[in-house]
Amino acid sequence: MSGNADWKVADRRIGILFIIPFALAALVFMVYPVAEAVRLAFYEHNPLHPETSHFIGLENFRTIYDDPLFWKSFQQATVWTACSIVLQTVIGVALALLLHLPLRGISIFRGLLLFPYIVPTVVIALILQWMLNAEIGVVNWSLKSAGLIDENIYWLATPNMAMISTILLNVWKYTPFVTICVLARLQTIPLELYDAAKVDGAGAVRRFIDITLPQLAEVLTVVVIFRTIWTFNKFEEIYLLTKGGPGTSTFNLAIYSFEQSVASLKMGVGAATGVVMMFLLFTGSLIYMRVFKFAEEETA
Amino acid sequence: MQKKPAAIKPAFTRRKFLSDIAVLGAGAAAGSGLALPAWAQKKSTKTGIVRVWGEPGPYGGVAVDAMNEWAKQFAPGLTFKLETLSWDGVYVKLMTDLAARNPAHCISVESPIAYQLMADLLLEPLDDVVAKVGKDRLVDGVKWEYWGAWKGKQYVLPAHHQATQMVVRTDVIKELGLGDPDKWSWEDMRNAAKTVSEKKKDMAGISLALGRNLCTDYHFAALLHSAGGRMFDVANKYQVVFDSPETVEALDYVKSLQPYMPKGAVSYSFLEVVDSIVTGRAAIAFYWGRPYGRAAEENKPVFDALQSYNHPRNSKTGRRTNWNDFQGWCIPRPNNQYVDEVKAALVYYQTSPDWLIRYCHSLMPNVSPVYKDVLNNPKLYTHPFFQTKRETIMNYYVNSLPHSSSTGNELLKGINPLAGIVHGRSILAQTVQKVVVDNWKSADAAKWGAKELEQIRKDNLRLLGGVV
Repeated sequence: MSGNADWKVADRRIGILFIIPFALAALVFMVYPVAEAVRLAFYEHNPLHPETSHFIGLENFRTIYDDPLFWKSFQQATVWTACSIVLQTVIGVALALLLHLPLRGISIFRGLLLFPYIVPTVVIALILQWMLNAEIGVVNWSLKSAGLIDENIYWLATPNMAMISTILLNVWKYTPFVTICVLARLQTIPLELYDAAKVDGAGAVRRFIDITLPQLAEVLTVVVIFRTIWTFNKFEEIYLLTKGGPGTSTFNLAIYSFEQSVASLKMGVGAATGVVMMFLLFTGSLIYMRVFKFAEEETA
Repeated sequence: MQKKPAAIKPAFTRRKFLSDIAVLGAGAAAGSGLALPAWAQKKSTKTGIVRVWGEPGPYGGVAVDAMNEWAKQFAPGLTFKLETLSWDGVYVKLMTDLAARNPAHCISVESPIAYQLMADLLLEPLDDVVAKVGKDRLVDGVKWEYWGAWKGKQYVLPAHHQATQMVVRTDVIKELGLGDPDKWSWEDMRNAAKTVSEKKKDMAGISLALGRNLCTDYHFAALLHSAGGRMFDVANKYQVVFDSPETVEALDYVKSLQPYMPKGAVSYSFLEVVDSIVTGRAAIAFYWGRPYGRAAEENKPVFDALQSYNHPRNSKTGRRTNWNDFQGWCIPRPNNQYVDEVKAALVYYQTSPDWLIRYCHSLMPNVSPVYKDVLNNPKLYTHPFFQTKRETIMNYYVNSLPHSSSTGNELLKGINPLAGIVHGRSILAQTVQKVVVDNWKSADAAKWGAKELEQIRKDNLRLLGGVV
């Protein structure tokens, strides 16, 4: 008995030892930055003169509350996130269903699917800037050559088109993530379920609605939560493609925060924006999980 | 009036000229070290990389070559290395590196941003360097303070001055009978732009930057100042004077030009304006001298037809104000272990007319000489562009000076360190975009801009400490 107990204690110690590097990394790279951002949100802090930093209570939150650009950025971030997620989910599921078909050579397409996800965003954004250039870009040239348009489309130079272009970039790049997650889940759905449904006379649509979708519910919940958080926080795609313009028509809260922190050197206001984003996403995720009864089985 | 430009001899290309002058300059400059003051000849035993920031263009590289020549003789353990910063990224890069206490050891940056750093006490005073370089060398019509002096101390050493001019496709203007661009008023330029747009397929009348960037700030500032308006009244405690009829006039004018610009102009910055003129997609632009180098290499017919003039005259004020970047070298103070070495290298390079001529020649006629002995040096005029573009070059070099202004020294009425922050936040560009993108009334946009400027003033009174 005693030997067994010693073994258990040793096992636990080894486990703790394995956890320590992650815990330390999480403390340094996750917990500390978040805590520092929360602290900064209550300070006036000019990074060029840190010695003048001082506590100002909720003043930074009042500043963003009174700033119309913050609300505009919030509204645009919501549009950008919602459109991106809906399109990614619909296209992602459709692609996963296609790639799930037992066709010859399908694994090649599965491999190719990862391409947009692998290429660095900066590369894509810079190439896309040239491709979408209204006057010399290949996209307008191709559309004109095909006789589909007569006048150049100003993809990045008009507010609506700039928003659409940034959404398309995000959808193109991250749909593969949705597809892969969904495809992995599709491959684990027991075929017996489909066979039984077929025997009962269920058609393809009925099988999709009654079997596939419920089976995908959990993975889609997770994917949508993660994609929403990542998309709502997205900075580099919009900044590299439009810098938030034209005007401020593609500003989201991440770009607003960056502008406040770096261009205006108002680190406190930028941090306060980050805290608001964190709160919004945390609350949104909780509501979403509650609505879709995520992990109900585990907690039941 | 317009002389037909003669063709450049094909055997004598700009690139060949540059390589020749590089050899010539290096050899001649090697000797110039002998004339250095003893102060600048002091040997240094320090080792490492001396980081130098410069804007895009070959001239920064020429200056760094000169500094390395000094290092070879007086600090063999040091290497000066150029880091190029794009204009629209310069403010972010500068501020984040300063905040991280890791700026370059020597920088050449847009003058309004240099003024901000200077007033924020982030730069080393350079009065000792100025004394060695020679205080009486400046060309006529400029003052040392234009490059950056604050509370009696000089913080910035001249590198060049760099004015915008109205770049014109003379072949198109002549073909359409639009008169002498040198005599144009604002209305004449707008009419010319309108006529070109209507009569020339695939060509915009005028190309200006309207994006949310530094170039738009500068283009609009030139028009604002031409109309007699300003952002701040330096003489009156830096009060904001932007909400004015002059601002509204300038904004209305930009809006009235918009139909004759490329539709994509609302996202244009520096490079797009150059592209539009060099590729023959615009007949008129406001720009510095950069399009000439590119046109000479990429589009000879356009190069042959280009000519630059002072900006069109505002009919009410008669002003032809440009935006002139009095850009210089400055030495950041935080964590800079190479202050003495950078000062000595700057003296070495700035006292060598050959290096300074090579600097100007490296991108003609984008960077104008600032010292009389350089401007009057016959070697300066050996560049092939002088064969066909003398009038344009002299407009950039000399004739622009009486019309000079900048956001950091509005109508040359005094240095304003707040302008750097204005550019950091793209306030002028945002004001313009309220009108051209969001369709605000100019008066409302001017009010919005004034409010933002007032906030900047309020937030940064410490920069004006002792002045306000």
